[in-house]
Amino acid sequence: MSERPRETSARRDFLKIGGLGLAAGIAAAGTLNAQKAAAQSAPASVLRTVLSRGKLIVGTGSTNAPWHFENDKGELTGMDIAVARILAAGLFGAGRDAKEDLSKIEFVKQDPASRIPNITTGKVDIVIQFMTVSPARAQLVAFSRPYYVEGVAILTSSKGKFKTHKELIDAGRNAKASVLQNVDADQLVARGLPQAQVMQLDTQANAIQALDSGRSDAAVIDLSTVGWLVKRNPDKYLDSGFHYDTQLYSAAMRQGDPDWLQWVDTCLNVAMHGHQTQIYDAAFEEFFASQPPRRVPGFPKI
Amino acid sequence: MIAYVMGVMPFLWQGLLVTLAVSGLVVASSLVTGVLCGIGLVYGRWWISWPIRIYSDILRGTPLIVLIFLIIYGLPLLGVDFGNYGSAVIALAAFKTAHVAEIARGAIQSIHFGQTDAGKAIGLTFRQRLQYVIMPQAVRRFLPPWINAVADAVKGSALVSLAGIVDLTLAVQQVIGRTYDPLPMYLLGAAMYFIINYSLSLTSRRLEARFAYIRE
Repeated sequence: MSERPRETSARRDFLKIGGLGLAAGIAAAGTLNAQKAAAQSAPASVLRTVLSRGKLIVGTGSTNAPWHFENDKGELTGMDIAVARILAAGLFGAGRDAKEDLSKIEFVKQDPASRIPNITTGKVDIVIQFMTVSPARAQLVAFSRPYYVEGVAILTSSKGKFKTHKELIDAGRNAKASVLQNVDADQLVARGLPQAQVMQLDTQANAIQALDSGRSDAAVIDLSTVGWLVKRNPDKYLDSGFHYDTQLYSAAMRQGDPDWLQWVDTCLNVAMHGHQTQIYDAAFEEFFASQPPRRVPGFPKI
Repeated sequence: MIAYVMGVMPFLWQGLLVTLAVSGLVVASSLVTGVLCGIGLVYGRWWISWPIRIYSDILRGTPLIVLIFLIIYGLPLLGVDFGNYGSAVIALAAFKTAHVAEIARGAIQSIHFGQTDAGKAIGLTFRQRLQYVIMPQAVRRFLPPWINAVADAVKGSALVSLAGIVDLTLAVQQVIGRTYDPLPMYLLGAAMYFIINYSLSLTSRRLEARFAYIRE
């Protein structure tokens, strides 16, 4: 019988220990939350990380001219790469020559499907990979100001029956247009060539291949690609002259870092509208075979 | 034709080496882990064989691409990051391990249990039975399906291009991205994969002949 009370008190002690543990747990959780809040109120900006690292980590691709591709020497180049160079020049004060700027950039080659995951998991500081701005995407990442307005254009062959947009329109149902397969590919073609027959193919390269082989009379593709192809092969391809539909291309970053976003926007504004437009202009001419409009002093048009 | 191939080869060369390196790493590591898992499946106690069984069934029932993305993007959320190259190799090797384990299990189980009994009867230990009785016979049945799995690993390594690793597939796409002329490049890429895999199956035939002995 004498064992009983001791057993009870032992049980009570055990409960007390449990209670103490619980209290300690709650206290610990409290401090943890406070620490977390402190960390969230003053996050380290990617801007500081990049500056102290001395290198900018850019996510981009390597398989789409004129945006990001390897040139004949095997070097990564394109409009997206030029934008990365603009940022590197702004960050590290270089900008004298491309080699020096590019040495400050680490390119992470990625599939377009990896653009958002690589930002949210922090694998890259910024993604510059012909990324179309959309409200849905803007819920997941922070977009910079646009650095290009992409459109749709109609590529024709110099050996083809129909060369200009007017000839294609006049041909009506006799004209065949190849296009990248997509949910609204039919309507996309119809906005440019209302009566043409539509041939949907799995890649943009194959849509162009169809034009080459004479299976289609026109390829409905990105405006930038038309500019690039016509510049590279002026005796083979023609721009039929009709450009339509617009979409904004921006760089994308992690959300919740206003300093970094603000800096990138500022740097791009200066490179497109300010006093340091050399890199942007040279790339625009090299990759799109045209020139940006002349900047006019006075009222800011940005 | 030859001029064309010579012109693009410098761009594909590095990618080809990456494909060979990834395949080699995956094949070598999955051979070791897979055979151990196979032995565990056949001879292990339940606490060894069940986890392997569950692992193997889950991995074989998951698309490889999902597994690759899970390791590349899922693990960093838990604070583990092997980098893209490491993650892709680990995903491929983990996937291949499950297949090799099943191939090894089948090869071992196909050896009649009378062989084990005979081994026991002459007083061989478990290790000796494996080493001198079971394995030499199982190897012959293991080789043909394993070489298939190796060829599969070489082709499956093309998926690392989705992780941004410039292997042969991505190198081919890079050239297409510049020239917008896909057909010859795809044919060339296919030919290069075929040469790798055909030389593997030739090696397989020689190996099978080498192990097709019956020791008197």
